[in-house]
Amino acid sequence: MADKKKKNLTPAQQKYQGLQQKHELKRPVLKNCIKAFWVGGLICTIGQAVTYFYIYFFNFTEQTAGNPTVATMVFFSMLLTGFGIYDHLGQYAGAGSAVPVTGFGNAVISAAIEHRTEGFVLGVGGNMFKLAGAVILFGVFSAFVVALIKTILIQWGVL
Amino acid sequence: MRISVYIVIFILLGLAGCSQNESKESELALIKKTDPNPVLIDENTEGNLDLVTNIKEEIASYKEIYDVAVVKGKKDTLVVYKVKHLQRFHMKKIEKKIKGRLDKKFPDEKFTVSSDYKIFLEAVKLNEKMQNPDYSEKKANKRLKEIIELKNEMA
Repeated sequence: MADKKKKNLTPAQQKYQGLQQKHELKRPVLKNCIKAFWVGGLICTIGQAVTYFYIYFFNFTEQTAGNPTVATMVFFSMLLTGFGIYDHLGQYAGAGSAVPVTGFGNAVISAAIEHRTEGFVLGVGGNMFKLAGAVILFGVFSAFVVALIKTILIQWGVL
Repeated sequence: MRISVYIVIFILLGLAGCSQNESKESELALIKKTDPNPVLIDENTEGNLDLVTNIKEEIASYKEIYDVAVVKGKKDTLVVYKVKHLQRFHMKKIEKKIKGRLDKKFPDEKFTVSSDYKIFLEAVKLNEKMQNPDYSEKKANKRLKEIIELKNEMA
């Protein structure tokens, strides 16, 4: 596809493209990956600490501590987004801050802050789940599919 | 910006400050190997002391696990262990294997087997409470029942 496009360009355009490629800054892929890895790992370590906190001080087992941990991590990231700290973290770590569940809290609150000027109902209410809506929809759908597969496998006696 | 950092530090310190009045062994039970002695709630039966020791030795012989706590109550026997980190992928298989071996070797006992940290922690705490002579057998049996109920709780 890209080669086809290139063939249609005039010699001057091709020369310009070569020049542009020469001066274009290279994406520091490895550096970005390392940043994402350590920040994402740090977030997960905090999540593990929160899990231990619930196991230690409340009546949660390893199996049941997952739900309050997720809720707490989302709440933390919502607070940090409100204070403006998570934006800097996102800029620095990229996917490392977006992929863990904290990215969900950030997506909800940043959309709410962005549309605050349009009013509480149509602005905040209507746009709050603009980004996170897709996460919820596909999350619920994939959970449904996985549960369906598990039920069928249990019925067949595989699991 | 600085105020928000202070707020986060304050929350974290607040969470960390909740640890009070805990004795040492159970405090570290989640982090390091504690290897608690097997507990027999009904101490009148001498023969059962050998039984719980045997159960503990039987489980400790598995190379996949590294810390075992055994609590024998009036009806139920609770067996809790920690699985080595790289073996945690096979946790269900190990649990099935241990339960099968215990049921085969000690057919008269009713076992509850778990690898959950919380259940381990509670077993160590119960062990510590049992050191106190004021802690009655009835209370201990009730607590053991509560721990087993907690283990069976799914969500």
